[in-house]
Amino acid sequence: MKSFELARPTSLDEAIDLLPKGRGPAEIDDARPLAGGQDILTEMKDYLITPKRLVDLAGVAGLDAYQSAPDLVLGSLTRLARIAADPQIALHHRALSIAAESVASVQIRNQATLGGNLCQRPRCWYYRNESVPCIKKGGAECFAESGLNKYNAIFGGGPSYIVHPSDCATALVLLDATVTKRGPRGESRMPLEQFFTLPSEGSVVRENVLKANEILVQVEVPAPKPGWTSTYLKFKERESFDFAMSAVALSARIEGDTIAEARMVLGAVAPIPWRAGEAESFLAGKPNTHATWKEAAEIALAQAEPLEHNGYKVPLTKGLIQKALRELSGGESK
Amino acid sequence: MTSQDNGTPSWGARADHRVLNKDTRRLSGPEKVKGEAIYSIDRHVPDMLYGKLVCIPVAKAEFTVDVDPAMEIEGVVIAIPLREGSTLYNGQAVAAVAAETPELAEDGARAVVVNYTPQGFVVTAESAKAPGAPQVSSRSPNHAPRGGSNDKGRGDMDATMEALDASDFVVEAEFDVAIQHHACLETHGLLADFKGGDEATIYASTQVAFGIPGSAAGPLGLDRQNVRCVVEHMGGGFGAKFSMDVAGRAACLMAAEVGRPVSMFNDRRQEFETSGNRSGSIQRIKAGVAKDGEILAMHSDMDKLGGVGRGPGAVQPYIYNVLESFTLDYALHTNTDSSRAMRAPGHPQVSFAMESVVDMLAYGIGADLVEIRKRNLSDPAYHRQLDRVAQEIGWNEHQHRTAPGKGDGWIAEGIGFGVSTWGGGGGPGAAAEVRIERDGGVTSSIGVQDLGTGVRTLVAMIPAEEFGLQASDVLPRIGDTQLPNGVGSGGSVTTASVAPCLKDASHKTRLAFAEHLASVLKCEAKDVTFADGKVFAKSAPDRGLTWKDACATLPAEGLARTGKWIGDLQTSGAHGAQAARVQVDLMTGAVKVLKMVAVQDSGLVLNPLTWRSQVNGAMIQSIGLALYEGRVMEPDLGIQINANLGDYKLPGCMEIPELVAIVDDEDTRQAVIGVGEPPAIPGAGAIANAIHNACGARITSLPITPDKVLEALAKLS
Amino acid sequence: MRLLELEINGDRLHVAAPPHWTLLEVLRYELGLTGTKQGCDKGDCGACTVLVDGKPQLSCLMLGSAAQGHAITTIEGLLPAHRAQGGAGADPVQDAFDRCGALQCGFCQPGMMLSAKALLSENPTPTSTDIKHALSGNLCRCTGYTQILEAALLAATKTEEVL
Repeated sequence: MKSFELARPTSLDEAIDLLPKGRGPAEIDDARPLAGGQDILTEMKDYLITPKRLVDLAGVAGLDAYQSAPDLVLGSLTRLARIAADPQIALHHRALSIAAESVASVQIRNQATLGGNLCQRPRCWYYRNESVPCIKKGGAECFAESGLNKYNAIFGGGPSYIVHPSDCATALVLLDATVTKRGPRGESRMPLEQFFTLPSEGSVVRENVLKANEILVQVEVPAPKPGWTSTYLKFKERESFDFAMSAVALSARIEGDTIAEARMVLGAVAPIPWRAGEAESFLAGKPNTHATWKEAAEIALAQAEPLEHNGYKVPLTKGLIQKALRELSGGESK
Repeated sequence: MTSQDNGTPSWGARADHRVLNKDTRRLSGPEKVKGEAIYSIDRHVPDMLYGKLVCIPVAKAEFTVDVDPAMEIEGVVIAIPLREGSTLYNGQAVAAVAAETPELAEDGARAVVVNYTPQGFVVTAESAKAPGAPQVSSRSPNHAPRGGSNDKGRGDMDATMEALDASDFVVEAEFDVAIQHHACLETHGLLADFKGGDEATIYASTQVAFGIPGSAAGPLGLDRQNVRCVVEHMGGGFGAKFSMDVAGRAACLMAAEVGRPVSMFNDRRQEFETSGNRSGSIQRIKAGVAKDGEILAMHSDMDKLGGVGRGPGAVQPYIYNVLESFTLDYALHTNTDSSRAMRAPGHPQVSFAMESVVDMLAYGIGADLVEIRKRNLSDPAYHRQLDRVAQEIGWNEHQHRTAPGKGDGWIAEGIGFGVSTWGGGGGPGAAAEVRIERDGGVTSSIGVQDLGTGVRTLVAMIPAEEFGLQASDVLPRIGDTQLPNGVGSGGSVTTASVAPCLKDASHKTRLAFAEHLASVLKCEAKDVTFADGKVFAKSAPDRGLTWKDACATLPAEGLARTGKWIGDLQTSGAHGAQAARVQVDLMTGAVKVLKMVAVQDSGLVLNPLTWRSQVNGAMIQSIGLALYEGRVMEPDLGIQINANLGDYKLPGCMEIPELVAIVDDEDTRQAVIGVGEPPAIPGAGAIANAIHNACGARITSLPITPDKVLEALAKLS
Repeated sequence: MRLLELEINGDRLHVAAPPHWTLLEVLRYELGLTGTKQGCDKGDCGACTVLVDGKPQLSCLMLGSAAQGHAITTIEGLLPAHRAQGGAGADPVQDAFDRCGALQCGFCQPGMMLSAKALLSENPTPTSTDIKHALSGNLCRCTGYTQILEAALLAATKTEEVL
């Protein structure tokens, strides 16, 4: 790793003041915030970024909020292991509990924070290779578009085809979470769904609206509406320890033999957590049968635009959707 | 009291063994569990520098290198170019730097300026064979017979084609095996402990300690006999660590130049890019079978993907009897580093294709998968081993015995089989010394390294058996070229090469000790008996000496004998069969291995505990080859795109099924055989077959990842 | 350079290290605690696992400064910690790994043992599945997994005896 200055502020304003003043690509490497370090240190070890200063958030007051369910408030420094182990979260916000537990390894969950997990950078192997000047690093080309794109997007791609790597993001968008960020001009709050940006909308070198001098403060999740349950099905190529190849976050209210309402967000298929709105509408009021699950899966994937090597994500995600619906209907998931 | 035979040394009857053939804890265990075992990468000596290689980030290039900018960094002590002119593959080292800390060495390496002009390259099989493809090197065409330009293939092509025509059922398929990596957790490298003067010690992570002095002497500018190599503990080899590699050479060159010790180990990316891979292969096979199950014909056209190397020699029809076969064996070169030996070089690749073909033929004629194998394998060892694995895996109760599952529903289960062979014999050249001290201490010495296989423990077990002691009573000394000659650990030769020397040395020492004790015990030397920590005259077992008291009668210098290799104490020819039971998730394409069974013969098993480790480990590495592992080369950029342990997926705990490793106890050979390679061969074929058996999807490309399963399932429906 | 105040294996230490050094580098290069292994240096293999206030974390993805204010246990500290808590003989995890031959080359073993130790501290009666989950961030290439899992189960029995 290249050497850097390590700043250890104690207040949010002090931390923000230590972050870059300017907004250009040259300034962004002046300073970066450090939370659990599980992603940023790997980026630095790979020389994808070489910040002159790291602003360690560990000692910053106000990032450690923790209010357990049903109305959930999670400071951005909340460790994933804590979320995964909280029985209240498992009870009321099951999709989040499962998503947090599915991240990486025990060791990483003990150290990784929720804020870091939501702001982690893509895993696309072109991006992660120092010698490839890809569009995510300010280059001109997305090498994955016509290259080895097995793990890339089938929705929302272009000009970059990364998939968002965060499991918690998918689950939290499902659960209608709100995020609070703070910058030099103070605090602002927004639905988490709006926090993430498609490469065609926001800056292609970022995955969200957070600016270089802003810090993610906390995430709030409303208590679940009566009768709703949720789940998160993550498909890993290697069960022990892997990022998702595809994931389905699903919540539903099932009344007797009918799916009254449902909400569905797909993970690892798009540059952002991908809301399956048409499938949601379709499911509302449908009989809870395998035929319905299958049709919902078809609808959810109908608009997919696979690249050369990731066509399998279509049947895979369809399979996961059916499994998730089966699970919420009381059948087993695996 | 097996070892009390006074004639030529023999292992004696198995029933008489007290130490050998019994589960014996590794003698390195206590220091390893405490974290006290020092691997070469852990070794630190005063005044030591850390080295770092500068590697070129393109597949093929003309280049110039300027190391001077590195020297401007404070703490960088030396920077040297390693080669000039051109490189052939991505990651090839062109310069090296040594500095006071690893971080400074890295800063230095990054400061070296490499100006390169990329040249046309090919890094995939497809591009290597394309018309007008750039030549990998000027030495040979990209696609050339491995045996040289006169090699027109093995077997009778016309007879094979006729036999294919005469077959009742014929299959044709292409099998692709991805390149697997050794991925040793301790990367390649060494510490060259040289402080000027005439001598140096090399602490290396190597499979051939005795090869290092010869390689290091040149770059160090020393005489070979003044260079010592020490390998106290080693973090894995699997065939990748037979030379000191460029990191080792660079460390020696820099140590010589500055007169300070240099430690240089690959980083993980270098380990992937340049320091160990098992060759891939593409095998186009056409085979035919008669209704009665006899395989009549097989035509194989094989391309070995050995990078700039030629790849290994194993060919079809592997170990099956095929009436007429014809095989073309080609090297298909690419601009990637050469493949290296890896646990049974060449065998897992051909085994995977052959076992797949056998199943395809069996289903074609409605034959039982076990019976068709027995029909085409003549050695009775395979027959009994296949029956045993079939029984253990539950074949007779299985529902898909002559036709695969249909691939409908949510989940499916299947079973597959495979068989293997390997030599496993040893050879002369090694020597051992066994020494008894007056205080009762016993030292057993041989310079051989322990890769993790458990050789260290054998080195103590063999004299312990001979003297009626426990393994923990003997101090094993290994991994040092100042000890008697060891042997390179590759091809499963270690046990069969060193155990006979240890046996001979133990035997001679015991005879000499018996001679000495005859007068003490007032009996003839041949009647001196060693058992259970005591020494006594055969006729008077109640009136003997304790081992310690007996040793106290020795002269001050103790007693020592050296032993040499005795061919009769070892043999070769290992056979094994494996079965796998898998579950296929038809919705996601996920494959989970539920159980694997291996029945393996390997002569006399000296330590069943470490034997099981080897066999279990081999099965798990097969799971990796079958389902998870594969180098991914970027065809346009010429680089490996998954050169890290996140994107290159090794099996972890969750991928481990129930594993059953069974010694074939009908093998009564009173001789030792190595077992490193044989169990690493048949697993991938067995798993691929089990997947097909479960759901009818025949996947002919390794690793069998979920995307391939889903694609194959889609084609079925 | 920055002066770090660390608590490693029960000892309070002052170590000078550059701010960009990870805990792994501080342990191996400054303190000579080489039982903590560097396998991949990027969080993929688990060989560098240490216990931070009893929980397994990766020392390669933790700056030295982040270790301040926490009790760090490396493999070298397991036996002293066991003794300090009044345990006799060997630490149950170390003893079980030794007995079962739960290693081949042994390079992954310190990390495996620390992961197992942390599991047993939280859950003294784990199932095989619990153990697989707890050790799934530690890669072994000789793939002695079978014996490693046996050892963790055996250690659980022994830990119960000690408690």
